Amino acid sequence: MKKPLAGIINISINNILSIKRALEFVGFNTIIINEDQNTNKLDLLVLPGVGAFNEAMKTLNDTNLIKTIDKYLNNNKNFLGICLGMQLLFKESNEFTKTNGIGFFEDKIESFENYPVYKKTFIGWNKVKFKANFFDDKDQLNLLQNKKFYFVHSFFANCKNEKIIGGNSFNGKLNFTSIVKKNKVTAFQFHPEKSGKNGLSLLNSVTKNIFL
Amino acid sequence: MIKRIIARLDIKNNFLVKGMHLEGLRILGYPELFSKKYFDENIDEIIFQDVVASLYKRNQLSSLTNKISNHVFVPIIVGGGIRNIGDVKEILINGADRVSINTAAIHDKNFIKDAVKIFGSSTICINIETLKIDNSYKIYTDSGRTEVNINTFDWIKEVQDLGVGEIIITSINNEGTGKGFDINLYEKASKLSNIPLLAHGGAKKPEDVYEVFSKTNVDGAVVASAFHFNYYKELLDKKDIHLTGSTNFLKNNNNHPILFGIKNLKEYLKSKKIEIR
Repeated sequence: MKKPLAGIINISINNILSIKRALEFVGFNTIIINEDQNTNKLDLLVLPGVGAFNEAMKTLNDTNLIKTIDKYLNNNKNFLGICLGMQLLFKESNEFTKTNGIGFFEDKIESFENYPVYKKTFIGWNKVKFKANFFDDKDQLNLLQNKKFYFVHSFFANCKNEKIIGGNSFNGKLNFTSIVKKNKVTAFQFHPEKSGKNGLSLLNSVTKNIFL
Repeated sequence: MIKRIIARLDIKNNFLVKGMHLEGLRILGYPELFSKKYFDENIDEIIFQDVVASLYKRNQLSSLTNKISNHVFVPIIVGGGIRNIGDVKEILINGADRVSINTAAIHDKNFIKDAVKIFGSSTICINIETLKIDNSYKIYTDSGRTEVNINTFDWIKEVQDLGVGEIIITSINNEGTGKGFDINLYEKASKLSNIPLLAHGGAKKPEDVYEVFSKTNVDGAVVASAFHFNYYKELLDKKDIHLTGSTNFLKNNNNHPILFGIKNLKEYLKSKKIEIR
């Protein structure tokens, strides 16, 4: 069987290779996408990202990659956002300066600053509580429920729409959205590609339909 | 807070090495093999340190990191001889998540500020090597070879002002000796630190790791010898062909009578109610 193809959008040099390797591990061929291009041959588009929201949006606009993403999302194809790549899918963020995001999801990205959190910049492992309907497969839910995944962030999605929340986590007393999902778009605040075997298992299960 | 268990692999000429007090290096084997084993045993993070890079003014770990990222899916920190923005970029492109910087931070503070701006604070980690003499702590560079006349605790405050995301503190006194962690050092350091702090140097038995977690506020414990020798011995017992270097020291002396693996350590910490992954 021919391997499905995943395109990885390159907006920051950080952790492109890790995502590439993790996708290859779960069975994809990968290509790096540096500029606006035809994505018809892609089975999955991945938006990773480490860094600041406004800089990333500037890069997406300057390179026209924003168009690639918009078209892809409008066509209801498989899309994965990771870390900043999840945040960029929202309407806006106040990181450094008020910046419009891709706007696939409503609501805003906010700083931990004004909330009762344990760490304003969180680096490390944190539990994820998955919604019962996040996985099609009950066994997968049992396997990964409340397991720890690797997070690096100072901002979070203040998501008000229960329907798109796929999972949540705590930072101190703040309960925040760590997974969003709508149609074929799934996005994680944490890094599944850096979350050990459970991370790989999660990547495997959210892309499983592509391999059918 | 979930505490992190981190393995540190000192690398010289692409081999895993280990010594005492950062001196007297001994070749243990291929870092690919050891890091794969640690990933399989659920390590939370791995540090690769080029121990001769500063001396030779270059870091040789890019190609190693690239290879390792084929089978290690936890965060990787790379350190040793990172002196400019180009060096950081090179390491990150090859699969590292963070870089750790010691020598260059002392000589060029603007480099650190720029690196934080370009790559984000969480990507830049400061590695502090400290030696305690007559109850005062001073920092060292070049893997413990050169003394710098700066007080360790002043430096901890200063690097936070530069905007870095994390600090690793190596106790030169305890490193490679199995004396346990320098609890006073980490207690004082964690009180001064608003960013994650990792303790490195001296862990000989699981109880040592428990002690540093229960008595200080560090976010993680870095272990080298105990994991390496434990796995080395396992390979030796199996007469594994991947083994390289001299094995006599393990047979003949009792420098490290208690070796522990990641699994044993995590089980022990769980039994002591320390929250870990």
